[in-house]
Amino acid sequence: MPFSEINSKMVEATVLPGQRLFSQRGAMLAYRGEVSFTPNLQGGQGGVMSMIGRRVANEDTPLMTVEGSGTVLFGHGGHHVQIINLTGDTLYVEADRLLAFEGTLQQGTMFMGSQGGVMGMVRGQISGQGLFTTTLKGHGSVAVMAHGGVFEVPVTPQRPVHVDPQAYVAHHGDVRNKLSTALGWRDMVGRGSGEAFQLELSGNGVVYVQASEEKL
Amino acid sequence: MRLHPQDLLAGPCARYLHSVAMFRLQGSKVLAVDMTGDAVKAKNGSMVAYDGQMTFKKMSGGGEGIRGMVTRRITGEQMTVMEVSGHGTCWFADRASEINLVGLQGDKLYVESSNLLATDAGLRTGTSFTGLRGASQGNGLFTTTVEGHGQAAIMSDGPAVVLRVSRQYPLTVDPGAYIAHQGNLSQSFQSGVTFRTFMGEGGGEAFQIRFEGDGLVYVQPSERNTIAGDV
Amino acid sequence: MSHYPGAGPTVHDPMTLPSDDNVNNYTFCVELKGSQWFLQKGKMIAYYGQMDFNGIGHGRLDGLIRTSFHSPLHASDWVVAQGSGKMLLADRAFDVNSYDLEDGNLTIRSGNLLAFQPSLALKQSIVPGFLTLIGTGKFVAASNGPVVFMEPPIRVDPQALVGWADCPSPCHHYDHGYMTGLMGGLRAMTGLGGASGEEHQFEFVGAGTVLLQSTEVLMAEQAVGATPQQAGVPGGHGAPTGHPQQPGAPRLPGQLGDLQRRFGL
Repeated sequence: MPFSEINSKMVEATVLPGQRLFSQRGAMLAYRGEVSFTPNLQGGQGGVMSMIGRRVANEDTPLMTVEGSGTVLFGHGGHHVQIINLTGDTLYVEADRLLAFEGTLQQGTMFMGSQGGVMGMVRGQISGQGLFTTTLKGHGSVAVMAHGGVFEVPVTPQRPVHVDPQAYVAHHGDVRNKLSTALGWRDMVGRGSGEAFQLELSGNGVVYVQASEEKL
Repeated sequence: MRLHPQDLLAGPCARYLHSVAMFRLQGSKVLAVDMTGDAVKAKNGSMVAYDGQMTFKKMSGGGEGIRGMVTRRITGEQMTVMEVSGHGTCWFADRASEINLVGLQGDKLYVESSNLLATDAGLRTGTSFTGLRGASQGNGLFTTTVEGHGQAAIMSDGPAVVLRVSRQYPLTVDPGAYIAHQGNLSQSFQSGVTFRTFMGEGGGEAFQIRFEGDGLVYVQPSERNTIAGDV
Repeated sequence: MSHYPGAGPTVHDPMTLPSDDNVNNYTFCVELKGSQWFLQKGKMIAYYGQMDFNGIGHGRLDGLIRTSFHSPLHASDWVVAQGSGKMLLADRAFDVNSYDLEDGNLTIRSGNLLAFQPSLALKQSIVPGFLTLIGTGKFVAASNGPVVFMEPPIRVDPQALVGWADCPSPCHHYDHGYMTGLMGGLRAMTGLGGASGEEHQFEFVGAGTVLLQSTEVLMAEQAVGATPQQAGVPGGHGAPTGHPQQPGAPRLPGQLGDLQRRFGL
């Protein structure tokens, strides 16, 4: 595992030859050794088609490739950093929350609407992320940023979890998500207008929620 | 205002322990409330997640009844409050502010309404005239009061430091760092700070609040009085 | 009133507050016993006891200023606290730490320095925007996220740098690979692909310690005095433009002063 937490806001990554990392541009704080930082034209992997997909999806958070041999310190915007280890499953996360992740993970985008129908399409809009969410799949670790730290809420078949879309950070596991309105939810949960929605997660997995309703 | 049978039957200590909704901190910035059919009042929009069954109802701050309504009008303490009731766990957070739990046993907590996150069913909220401090902070002349038996969660920019004021140890506080106080305290405004410089410049801690009496004062490690940089 | 169950944080009084130590990660407690501390304005949040706060330049303090405060351009942002009691310092909920110098020197970003003992001498560093503390004593500094100590050789994002001790002043390091080659040329010509934001670092070599904060977002900077406009002085090109008020200029009534400066109004 290349990431280790230095403190709640900073992670140290070990870069070895032949094992590249991706990170958000500008998130490097310091490094030792011979390490290069190359901006990715296509914002990650997957070639041009994937890039176009992400452009459309508004998920083209600029990434850079980190290669070489040494150690790198990452941190960004004073946000709290959470390391999530994936063992073969898929993490759903909004792209601008990605601080860094291992090159072994396969990056993709997912149309959130495919799960929740019309409401699913709304989901992306209200959380300001477009209709797509980034997926990371495989074995490796991801450093995810959140405003004010995150906490995990387990999702079990008996206990679906409802999350304020503004506070939603990521989820993984066999989880279905659905956007719904709740009785009495309108105009009092969430801020401003058009936020009378809640994200309902059911199935088996974990959802990460941040201690704030502010988007990054 | 609702009373619970437990509140009426049990002694003061048991009353506290059996307070139906259990407030606990999940980390320092998230309040988790375990509910079994009862209700809590919380700042509008502060729910970040819940499991189980919950209903949300909109209310307004400033105390109950017509008097509360009138004071609200006058005071401009425009805290909109929601009442959350149900079975399960509800998580509250507000812009990554630090959350501090305050246990009240019949005494009164004075807190800026923007710093009040949640109160349990055993507590009443109202408004009170605070005089000059509000004016200097730009928060209006009124502040929110919380009284009764139960738990309240107040927010601060950075973890609050709780300072005891006693007869022999009065305390002086920067108005921007003040968030709440409880107990039997009198406050006065003081400007006894000399900032004469060779340029005749003002600024800095020119005005301070002095607390005397017996009680607790909550200060935050920040001079901002609004949390999201609204200044 | 002696017992508040459920009052999460510890209740402090003048007896239990630490002396010249942290109360928590964000609050520092200074004990004055008839002694003096230099203090950046607006960083005191509460105090017990009897204290006076006087601006730098106040007549009675002349001797003290002469020995310990050598940055006339920062004078309007600092006060001297004296008296006896305990006072709490904090800065916008940023992390706060104290540092002890023993016959040493440490250079720190001027906006991060909150307070220092007069046994230290404060001077402007040759690197613009930084101050150097020399001597023996304690000082208190804030950072955006906890401070991490690193040893050279290391290359550091300029915005993440809080300060350095003992080692030579840093030099600039540019990533050449980035702008060379086919892709680099394309980037330079079209702007496509953008910058990684990591083309430029401060490079530290030699023996010493480098202080990093946990984010590349600078704390809102305190106005930094202009260095003398003089040949051979780095950064000697006047105050940063865009400031509505020249630091150190007399303040007119109705201006917000520090607040204005802090929020860039």
